[in-house]
Amino acid sequence: MKLRIGSSAPKAVAVALPVPLGGALPDEAEAAARVAGFSGVAGTCCEVRSLGQVLLLVGVGPSPTEASYRSAGALAVARLGGLKRIALDARGLLAGSAAAFALGAMLRGWTPPQNRRDPNPEAQKLANIDLLSNAPGIEAAWSNAEAAWQGAKLARDLVALPSDVLSPDGFIDRLEPLRKAGVSITVLKRRALAHEGLGALLAVGRGSAHRPRLVLLRWEGALETPPVVFVGKGITFDTGGICIKPADKMWEMRADMAGAAACAGAMLSLALRRSAAPACAVLALAENAIGAEAYRPGDVLTTFGGKTIEVIDTDAEGRLVLADALGWAVARLKPQAVIDLATLTGSIVVGLGHEMGGLFSNDDALAAYVAAAGEATGELVWRMPLGAGYREALNSDIADIANCAKGRYQPDASHAATFLSEFVGEAAWVHLDIAGVEAREAADDRHAAGATGFGVRLLDRLVSQRFEDPHRA
Amino acid sequence: MLDIGFAKSVLPKSGALVLLVEEAETLNADLLAQADEATGLAISRALVAAEFKGKAGSNCTILAPGANLSRVIAIGIGKLSELTQRLAEEAGGACVPLLTKEESAHIAAGALSAELAAAVATGAALRSYRFDRYRTKEKAEDKPRLSKLVVLAGHPVKAREAWVPLKATVTGVFVTRDLVSEPPNVLYPAEMADRCKALESLGLKVEVLGPKEMSKLGFGALLAVAQGSEREARMVVLQWNGASGEAVPTKGKKGKVAKIEKTDNAPLAFIGKGVTFDTGGISIKPGPGMEDMKWDMAGAGAVIGLMATLAGRKAKVDAVGLVGLVENMPSGTAMRPGDVVTSASGQTIEVLNTDAEGRLVLADVIHYCQENFKPRLMVDLATLTGAIIVALGHEYAGMFANDDGLAAQLSAVAEETGEKLWRMPLAEAYNKQLKSDIADMKNIGGRWGGAVIAAEFIQRFVATGTPWAHLDIAGTAWSSKDTATVPKGATAFGVRLLDRLVAAHYETK
Repeated sequence: MKLRIGSSAPKAVAVALPVPLGGALPDEAEAAARVAGFSGVAGTCCEVRSLGQVLLLVGVGPSPTEASYRSAGALAVARLGGLKRIALDARGLLAGSAAAFALGAMLRGWTPPQNRRDPNPEAQKLANIDLLSNAPGIEAAWSNAEAAWQGAKLARDLVALPSDVLSPDGFIDRLEPLRKAGVSITVLKRRALAHEGLGALLAVGRGSAHRPRLVLLRWEGALETPPVVFVGKGITFDTGGICIKPADKMWEMRADMAGAAACAGAMLSLALRRSAAPACAVLALAENAIGAEAYRPGDVLTTFGGKTIEVIDTDAEGRLVLADALGWAVARLKPQAVIDLATLTGSIVVGLGHEMGGLFSNDDALAAYVAAAGEATGELVWRMPLGAGYREALNSDIADIANCAKGRYQPDASHAATFLSEFVGEAAWVHLDIAGVEAREAADDRHAAGATGFGVRLLDRLVSQRFEDPHRA
Repeated sequence: MLDIGFAKSVLPKSGALVLLVEEAETLNADLLAQADEATGLAISRALVAAEFKGKAGSNCTILAPGANLSRVIAIGIGKLSELTQRLAEEAGGACVPLLTKEESAHIAAGALSAELAAAVATGAALRSYRFDRYRTKEKAEDKPRLSKLVVLAGHPVKAREAWVPLKATVTGVFVTRDLVSEPPNVLYPAEMADRCKALESLGLKVEVLGPKEMSKLGFGALLAVAQGSEREARMVVLQWNGASGEAVPTKGKKGKVAKIEKTDNAPLAFIGKGVTFDTGGISIKPGPGMEDMKWDMAGAGAVIGLMATLAGRKAKVDAVGLVGLVENMPSGTAMRPGDVVTSASGQTIEVLNTDAEGRLVLADVIHYCQENFKPRLMVDLATLTGAIIVALGHEYAGMFANDDGLAAQLSAVAEETGEKLWRMPLAEAYNKQLKSDIADMKNIGGRWGGAVIAAEFIQRFVATGTPWAHLDIAGTAWSSKDTATVPKGATAFGVRLLDRLVAAHYETK
């Protein structure tokens, strides 16, 4: 999908026009809008075909915000995505609103990479979008939005790929766009991991023929501050290990690397828009497979830093790889803030469903900035509890901590967050449990089906709102 | 309840003595020096030998140290300057299980303010609760013997004054714990309503509505839940008018609802889910653990205990408690998955799961509450979802609120009382999942986010403009282990929380 900025619509191309509540309509569309009862209510639209071309009126409601325009762009594509080319008429809008309109359209227009011999007759055909805008600063505004789009697209593509292709090394192979954008990539393989003492990551990856990796992505930025660090869970496929999952829906576990994908996507966004903030991402990549070498329930693992973990359940593996990655990131990168993303628990999906990610933090200020960035980008997060009350359930008889509580119906999301909190030292830290929001079962007016890239735009916005000001307190 | 007295802080001549020991370089506590001297320094030697440092939560028992004392118990209270009311309660509670062999004991609290001394008494009283009316063969020596506790205070008169309202709170908590602990064959809706009636002696106005009255009021949702059981449903309205002195006429029996205007003097309303036993109905629950469902009336139990508390301490507030009491049974007359019921509000509900019954009960009671009382605010309590347990465990109850001010007040008193709340979201995206093909709504949504969806369901029955909070107490109504002030079993979660809410924000001076 390509987007071009122009000032007038090419001939015979469908045009989507945002209309505020009670806003003026083009004369030629008034009659049709009246018959259809369209008045600009957010989330509604009206297709006018009587003009020899398609004009889609899209409601943005009263006093529209960035979010309203993003939703309107999405709705335009939901309705017109069957066409090869459409135009978004943003003339008269401020640059920021126009860019949000376009970003919404691009996000909604994403489709997963296809692996077919025969073309899919039902595939969305949309290939070209013309953004009609004469706003001053539109090029710069779109370039920022496009960076977010490219990051989200990278994350979604990675999440959508099947796990035979997307092994830990397959994941690394697909980070080339980052290198091109100026991000340095360092890969720690088995010998280095052993040397650094990342025993938990090594254990989780041991059952698989595809070996575990730790990837460090570094964007230098321009400021002389410690980096903000993203840490991502990248389980390229999660069978559950010896504590194997039920077969039903196990295929969804190819998306169990969505946290790492979001971190990589966010790094791409920062690099593409030449962010001033130094940033790093640490991706813990492994396949949790069953094999003769697989780690077992009951094993005790020694993590980076020496703390030991008793494995109660091999399917609680995400927190194991994160324990190493977080500990390593904090010690080696001395970050000013750490945000980890992980499709970590079923418990968070029971708690918050598919509408919001769970936010856990040891730092109220950072938590508030992350929540605000989520609000601004529509990647919503809700703060959830962790701490002493949940720690007791993780006591082990023979190690420093157990990786989860025994028994069913546990508040596992809070247990997992409490577990992770012990590996971040004194760093300001936020953990986002994105299980449940990394993919959507079906498309709707606002969202494409499948991978969401959840977290990319949130992190990108967090950095721009919090970490790019050289004078901040 | 424990007989609690207050006296001047002097070394008792005999019996058991509890010392509240500060965490410091040299151990420090009221009466420690005197007791130590009287026992020839046996106490300080024992504490040193036991490596007792006064850390909050620690304790040390010394048997027969001399001076005619049967035992001395040191309870660590941490730093005295950091001792909150809650920590004082925990210290008071901590000594109770160590005193089961004593008939009476003294607690030396002379170093504490009168308020904190009263809090120590509160903690001890709360922890001493025991539900043993069905133990017929327990030997006397196996029963805890402690029946009297004397708190030795710097200002015994002031401490006794501070204790008076707290005693009412503890009494209210025990009302709730008794109700929640009762087995479901003993405690069914009519019996529970009778026990509410008995609270009229406290000055509450108690009105009981049966199936006929509720039918006239159009309680189609509540009655649908009850229709599978032999036990008739009840709704009980408990009014306490400590501010105005006048009860609102409910007119429920005529099948009509009084039209009154909402005013600043409107009552606070507390609403409780009271499913005296929940089999799940036709959507029956699995067998293991089903016995726990006797406490599916803990929300109603808490509301009743709260009303008893407000009346007991003559709170200067107008408040009304409403509880919907039903038993959810599978039978030939039971409601089925697929049934469509019409609630008192007129909204229709497609029942897809008969085990999501609590919200049906609440829907009618909440609607009635608003029509009849135009309350200033509403708080409902319900053991509503398993999802809240998977989300928050037993640490916090889930709080859902349409009003940030009320939510903030609740969070603050939760922190103070140790009945902890965690705010959970309400959002349109969850509400959408209740869409039904043939009725105004379904009673369940998708598989995920069940506690949020349940709260959204209830919100559909809350009039806009009424500050409202819903407390999902499924994970906190019952405790599988002893804690400092709550023995294993019914916790009465919500009574102290809401009592404190009233006291802190809604009582006239």
